[in-house]
Amino acid sequence: MRLHKASVLSNRQFLLLVLPLAAILILFLLLPLVLGFVATFTNYAPFQTTIRFVGLGNYRNVLQDGAFQAAVRNVVYFTGGSVSVELALGFLLAFALRKPFRGRSLIRFGLLLPWLVSPVAAGIMWHFLLNTTQGLLNYFPALFGLSELPYPLTIETAMLTVIATEVWRKTPFVTFLFLPGFISIPAEQWDQARVDGLGLLHQMRHVVFPALRVLLLTVMLLLIGDALGTFEAILMLTGGGPGTVTLTPGFYSYSQAFKAFNWRDGATSGWFIVGAVLIVGGSYIWLTRHSRTP
Amino acid sequence: MTFRFRSFVRVTLLAGAVLIFNLPLVWTLLASFGVTPNNSTHPPQWMLPPTWDNYREVITPQTILKQLGVSTLVAVLVTLLTLFTSFLAAYALSRSQFRGRRLLLQGLLVLASLPVISYVIPLKDLMFVSHLYDTLPGVALAETALFAPLAVYALVGYLARVPTEIEEAARVEGATLRQVLHKIILPTAMPGMAATGIIIFVLSWNQLLMLLVITAHRVQTLTVMMSDFFTFERELEWGAAAAALVVSVLPVALLVAATHRLLEQFGIGGVNQ
Repeated sequence: MRLHKASVLSNRQFLLLVLPLAAILILFLLLPLVLGFVATFTNYAPFQTTIRFVGLGNYRNVLQDGAFQAAVRNVVYFTGGSVSVELALGFLLAFALRKPFRGRSLIRFGLLLPWLVSPVAAGIMWHFLLNTTQGLLNYFPALFGLSELPYPLTIETAMLTVIATEVWRKTPFVTFLFLPGFISIPAEQWDQARVDGLGLLHQMRHVVFPALRVLLLTVMLLLIGDALGTFEAILMLTGGGPGTVTLTPGFYSYSQAFKAFNWRDGATSGWFIVGAVLIVGGSYIWLTRHSRTP
Repeated sequence: MTFRFRSFVRVTLLAGAVLIFNLPLVWTLLASFGVTPNNSTHPPQWMLPPTWDNYREVITPQTILKQLGVSTLVAVLVTLLTLFTSFLAAYALSRSQFRGRRLLLQGLLVLASLPVISYVIPLKDLMFVSHLYDTLPGVALAETALFAPLAVYALVGYLARVPTEIEEAARVEGATLRQVLHKIILPTAMPGMAATGIIIFVLSWNQLLMLLVITAHRVQTLTVMMSDFFTFERELEWGAAAAALVVSVLPVALLVAATHRLLEQFGIGGVNQ
């Protein structure tokens, strides 16, 4: 079977089929990525007349910037907090949805809706919903005659609030990605686990995790990558503030390049994000190396 | 616990989750019609009656209708180009065995998880050099490169589950590769293609950062327009913002509502299982 499969396509046919995609990926993703990397070791910037090699100078500059240091600390906190809650909640909801019941497809649709809101629109929406007099946050305290909640975007609470809004928007997509995995577990495996008298935790360990391990890691990789590049989620809601408490490397990079017109710091800080994603991606490849492929 | 009690608990929990996740959207919908609570009174008084004023204010030929058209055009182009290139590549990858194939697929996944900000700054310079800055083809190509890695990964998983007997028989009978793709593979892969296409459409519709950088005023999507309008420094009116928000979400919400059974065909677990 395997051998036969291999003979379906000739080498030439394989290359022809892959060519259109490869051309687009090389020109519009890999080329900017690599040229950007090379440029961060020079003094390159648009309209720069003489280009010379500066070694690690750009990297040193960015690392010494207090705002960038704060952004790195923030994004570690943000990624850890948001990704773990999104995974746990998404997993739980997909688990609850795994068996067919009346109204399941309606609930599935209802649980996907927040993901359809763009990050920008979500930022604008939360900006107003967290507002005290007309918003959602203080409606319930007011309804029950309780005292007003404190404004949630202060130095102490802004990061938690940003994490919560991201969890709101992304958990639905995580549920959506997990559900096919749960559905693909054969019914006999659940029945067997029940016959064996395994409790919920044991079912998780012996039925769910072995079957969904790779899917879990895959979703985790996508979520971590996305979180490390966070930009839109804070653009509308906090603008990185108050001070630098919600500043992310993605927002720092964008502001440097397009607001402060400091191309070198912008592109260099962007490469710290690439580096982090490559480390996470390498770990993913290492962790999934023993699983089968078709 | 009896089976009935369990399923009652399950449905109650899920209904609660749907309610909590959608409450912010309900609030926004109400606000877009001018219905907002006044939380400084006890109990909160609701502003009534509902009006269309906010919609009348934000929907004008210059502000939203034009951008709706641009957003639709961009998302359709990106979806078609992504599906076309990804389908061919995914077919090739699902029907061949070679050393490093697995690593290639995982590499695509790492590319899919790479955030836009990590390469968009040099991309802007390349778009200028190639005269693709602020053009429709430029946006279509750049967004295709952004979304295709995920699409290929999903489609390889889908195509790997399609049995190969029929196409092999067709090849033995002398069918060309083009005929096999067109007459055999595409029809069977259609549900997976359509589901992947809808996901790409939504991702493209909501994309902001890349467009902020590689477009200006000629190709302005709804998402970019909203980010222009409502910068966080400027205080604005909630009702108008809510109306704009509803208009921006409605097209994709309707699309997904109409096709959500089909969306069950989308998955990224197929490759490794």
